[in-house]
Amino acid sequence: MFMKQTDFAPARMSALLGAAEAAARAIPPAFPLDATVAVNPFMGQAGETPAAASARLARTAGVRLFGPRARIAAEIAAGRIADEDLVEALIACPSSLKPADLGLLKSRLGAPRPEPEAPPTVADLAAQRTGVDWPAVIERCVGLWAAGHFDRGQALWLPAPGADAWASWRAWAARDLTPEIAGLAGFCAHVSAAPDTPERAICRAADALELDEAAAETAFHRLLMDLGGWAQHARWLLWRAEQEGGTDRTLAGLLAIRLIWEEALLARHPDLAERWRAAAAAHAAPTAPSIEDVIDWILQDAAERAFQRRLAARLGGAAPASPARPTLQAAFCIDVRSEPFRRALEAQAPGIETIGCAGFFGLPVAHLPHASDVDEARLPALLRPTLSSVARAPEPRERAARIKARAIRAWGRFRQAAVSSFAFVEAAGPAYGGKLLAGAFGRAAKDGGLEPAPRLDPAPDPAARAKAAASALAAMGLTKGFARLVLLVGHGARMTNNPHESAYRCGACGGHDGAVSARLLAGLLNDPETRAHLPAHGVELPDDTLFLAALHETTTDEAILFEADLPAARAAAHAAEIGRARGWLAAAGRQVRAERALRLPGATPDTLAARARDWAEVRPEWGLAGCAAFIAAPRAATAGKDLGGRAFLHSYDWRGDKGFATLELILTAPVVVAGWISLQYYASAVAPEVFGAGNKLIHNVVGGIGVVEGNGGRLRAGLPWQAVHDGERLAHEPLRLTVLVEAPPEAISDVLARHPQVAALFDNGWLHLMQLEDGRVAARYRPGGGWRAEAPVAAAA
Amino acid sequence: MTAFPLAPAQLAPLVLAIAAAAMMMRPGRRPPAARLLPQAASLAALALALGGAALAGADEGGGPMRADAIGATMATLVAFIGWIVTRYAARYMDGEPREGRFHALMLATLAAVLVLAQAAHLALLAAAFAATGLLLRQLLLFYPERPAARRAAAKFALVWHAGDAALILAAAILWAAHGLGDMAALRALIGEAGPGAADHVAAALVVLAALLKTAAFPAHGWLTEVMEAPTPVSALLHAGVVNAGGVLLIRLADLVQASPAAMAALAFMGGLTALFGAVVMLAQSAVKTALAWSTVGQMGFMLLQCGLGLWPLALLHIIAHGLYKSHAFLTAGMAVAEVRAARKPGPVAAPGWGAVARAFALSLALYAAMAGLFMAIAGPKSPQALALGAMLVFGVAYLVAQGLADAAPRALTWRTALASAGAAAAYFGFQLGAQALWGAHLPAPPDPGPLEWALIVLAVGSFGLVALAQALFPLWAHHPAAAGLRVHVANGFYLNALLDKAIGGFRTVKAK
Repeated sequence: MFMKQTDFAPARMSALLGAAEAAARAIPPAFPLDATVAVNPFMGQAGETPAAASARLARTAGVRLFGPRARIAAEIAAGRIADEDLVEALIACPSSLKPADLGLLKSRLGAPRPEPEAPPTVADLAAQRTGVDWPAVIERCVGLWAAGHFDRGQALWLPAPGADAWASWRAWAARDLTPEIAGLAGFCAHVSAAPDTPERAICRAADALELDEAAAETAFHRLLMDLGGWAQHARWLLWRAEQEGGTDRTLAGLLAIRLIWEEALLARHPDLAERWRAAAAAHAAPTAPSIEDVIDWILQDAAERAFQRRLAARLGGAAPASPARPTLQAAFCIDVRSEPFRRALEAQAPGIETIGCAGFFGLPVAHLPHASDVDEARLPALLRPTLSSVARAPEPRERAARIKARAIRAWGRFRQAAVSSFAFVEAAGPAYGGKLLAGAFGRAAKDGGLEPAPRLDPAPDPAARAKAAASALAAMGLTKGFARLVLLVGHGARMTNNPHESAYRCGACGGHDGAVSARLLAGLLNDPETRAHLPAHGVELPDDTLFLAALHETTTDEAILFEADLPAARAAAHAAEIGRARGWLAAAGRQVRAERALRLPGATPDTLAARARDWAEVRPEWGLAGCAAFIAAPRAATAGKDLGGRAFLHSYDWRGDKGFATLELILTAPVVVAGWISLQYYASAVAPEVFGAGNKLIHNVVGGIGVVEGNGGRLRAGLPWQAVHDGERLAHEPLRLTVLVEAPPEAISDVLARHPQVAALFDNGWLHLMQLEDGRVAARYRPGGGWRAEAPVAAAA
Repeated sequence: MTAFPLAPAQLAPLVLAIAAAAMMMRPGRRPPAARLLPQAASLAALALALGGAALAGADEGGGPMRADAIGATMATLVAFIGWIVTRYAARYMDGEPREGRFHALMLATLAAVLVLAQAAHLALLAAAFAATGLLLRQLLLFYPERPAARRAAAKFALVWHAGDAALILAAAILWAAHGLGDMAALRALIGEAGPGAADHVAAALVVLAALLKTAAFPAHGWLTEVMEAPTPVSALLHAGVVNAGGVLLIRLADLVQASPAAMAALAFMGGLTALFGAVVMLAQSAVKTALAWSTVGQMGFMLLQCGLGLWPLALLHIIAHGLYKSHAFLTAGMAVAEVRAARKPGPVAAPGWGAVARAFALSLALYAAMAGLFMAIAGPKSPQALALGAMLVFGVAYLVAQGLADAAPRALTWRTALASAGAAAAYFGFQLGAQALWGAHLPAPPDPGPLEWALIVLAVGSFGLVALAQALFPLWAHHPAAAGLRVHVANGFYLNALLDKAIGGFRTVKAK
């Protein structure tokens, strides 16, 4: 009575699905653009060295992970990379393939490297055979389906919500006539007859393609890379589901979709079998770095050592700490854009102290904004929210805001719907003349005004609030010596008409600005009930200390103070301090604008604010471009030193860190996040075709989640070319992050031993680790464990 | 004065052409003049166009270009959008390897479109059309290494220049029949003597040219793929170029209206394209792609207005659409924020059958009131105008329906009702203005005969049905039976794929 199902040998099936799983995990997640955060594009390759990953990605995506050698050669010629850097990099390289000496290494500098070529897919072979550009047809067909499937509200007519990717695509592709028009007769029937689960479809296609288990992993990885950002978006769905303890099959569905195409093309062109077998055989060989990959790696390492040499010279020892009570303290996010601002603020007057910590101020909240039912995860991507907060205006303002938002939405749907779009144009079109003028003069977007103050909801009891506040203070190393006024400065980046806006905002706040977190913590710390419990947590908070939240706009370097959140009496008592702080912040902003305008093409310090409002501006600021170092040390180690906006600065004093709990927190969270950011910029600079978002000038926003270039096709994750390149040269020098920690080496090693995933980043060479002593570089971590003392360097060059 | 052939508005293309030539001297990255020269030249062109508009009708001369009410209006629109777009591009294109060339091409294209808008002679009009096409093709090929850009440019050139051929043929026929190329003279002649056989053929060719150039069904494929060029190109193309086919029709309105068959073809193809484009738009998830499909629909609607003989309204639609669509393209980067903002207030309140029925009744009542009011002010309206108003009111009904949904709070109902009344009033107000500005220069709608009545009923009926379906959308869109339809709709019913098949658009293109 029942049809006999096609049987797969269980061993083969589990091997194939294991390979599919591995291929899926080789894909990095891409966060949707409404709140995007940087993710390490090589997250799936963290278990191998960059050279090995380069070899793997050459096969699976046709890219190399290292920039052109000419750039290194130019740095050597300019004297920025010295022979000692090259020699040290050569000695440190663990590969047996490395050149024997410096001469041999340098002789390879000018050697041309052919672009890597991935083994062909069946679609590539069919294109050569038939002249029809099958990879492009697949990109277009899958892209159109995926755009609708993942759409969060761009189109009015969306597919039924909740369908899983494989089922949704099967229903789509069984009806989509485009492949047949392009010449793949019978494709709809082929799809109709495909198995009903992605797993079975993957196994069936692998059989039809005669893929053996050894070849499957990179062959699958290749096909997923072929889908570009769609696969990365699906990987994000999986990431999010796993964070919530579930799982997600979208990525399996995408692999099955791409395999069904391969299967159908091979069935249609059986004569390709021979050439396809050769390609599959190439996948069966293990990936291994070539001599040239190793040389690239050494050269990259040398460039980083040259940077470290200059950084070490600049650091050159801690400044003496002043014993007096500071006149102002200000805590900033570790973001590299805080560094110039902190330097400038401290320069305004003696006694101003700044602190660096993760910009969510230690409060992992899911936040419901004003007039919104959609919560925002304002915390680093690695964490799960444990608190929730809301921002609600008093009635009837809250309700009025909601009605207004809904009326705007109804008007938007009136504009978008079929017949009413004509009525809309006839009635409202002429008014757009005024909107064009407004846009041309930098008034395209209206200022939303300040959000009402956020509050924790449900509010934890005072003891729990004090615990959260105390641990936030501990993470910034601020438990005593408070000034009368302490600013908590989050950061945001206001800009206009930029789909990648959230990539410029605070990564520690999940791609939102830091205002909510800063205001929440300031609210907790000013709350008398909470303060009463703080001494129990070892926090010596004087009664006259007031906390004030602020927001640093990185596009304009203006700082907004949230004074209205303060109880009126306390604000009045501190009016003098607040007034002075306001003046200092404004002066610091002017200084930073002068510094920053030099790097932005066509900018002057006075035009930065206009750039942020300019609807045509594709480079409103440089974001985190240039980031190269992470320093966890007391501020004394870096105070007064111009680090060029290239360093993440985390305040940390190991002497006050009981059991090195804070060290563990820093190494496992902020360091990892900073490493991801640096690798995202790195990948977008060296492999923009695969890991970058492409050219902003032809971006086409899809489904509210991402961009495609031009008409459609593959989603593009990562950073746009304009975010890392100024038109003439890279604005982001692609360097792997150098992490410098002031703590005893044994303590650092101990934390790494307990967190093998973090250790792998250093051991495999994705990040560098150095140890500081009294603000000087003292030792370098050696991959695999152990430390090597660094020679003392001459003071600031 | 009359001896001088160039009025202020006619100097505008010259200024732009000189600036284009200057920009072409430094075609590369960050030419020193890029920040100021293009926008200064286009601002000068705008000032000249406005000057021309102020003088419109005062001195129409007999030259090859003429700033009459229609020419001056179009010139002002194009110059305004040109200025906005060049100002935008000055910042947007900063650092591109071929930045200077881009500005040169944009300015030259603008110059060609300005000539087109004001051409008085058919030969000049045809030449300006061809030049616009040649220049725009270069802009579409701004990234020649992209195969999709080359495919889009090839499609555009094919359709655009086929339209050129039809227009040239029409001009030749008219020249052979009357020995005239001046459009005003032709208008007078046909008005006096009535149309001859040659005029009917020429009218058909003019309609064909307009259908091709406005991306009407089934030749729309070229317009939906030109997002391969930087955003300012799309803004100019959708606001100032794709509607040039409409300008052609309006310029030759007397000739076209003299041929009932041409008018019927326009009304039919226009109405079909309007519904087709608007429905396909619903299923597009990429913002610029949706905008392009929307343009297909809007141009179809404009053609329908032409086919009904509502010439001033067609011109009004060109202006309103040009302003709206260029803004929509230039702000397409806000789509992420907009989708996010639309999700914030929670689920949309879907109107049910009852709410939709009440909304349609209310809208028709509103329409009757408004129409009565405006007829009392401005005199009786033609059946065509009343029919068009009814179609638009079906659209407004959707806005009313959203406010009447059971789950919608009272305050929202009021807001949408107010917006609906505002929209209806604005529509009638603009219509009044259009009639006052351009009515004297354009023929009145013909008295409808059986064919015209049939088309009017067909148009009102089909728009009404689609409007009803749209208002009830949440009730059926996710039904499995509709899922299959959505596939075909999202694909634009495959016409583009078939065109690709025909012209080799699926084939591998070797990078240059």
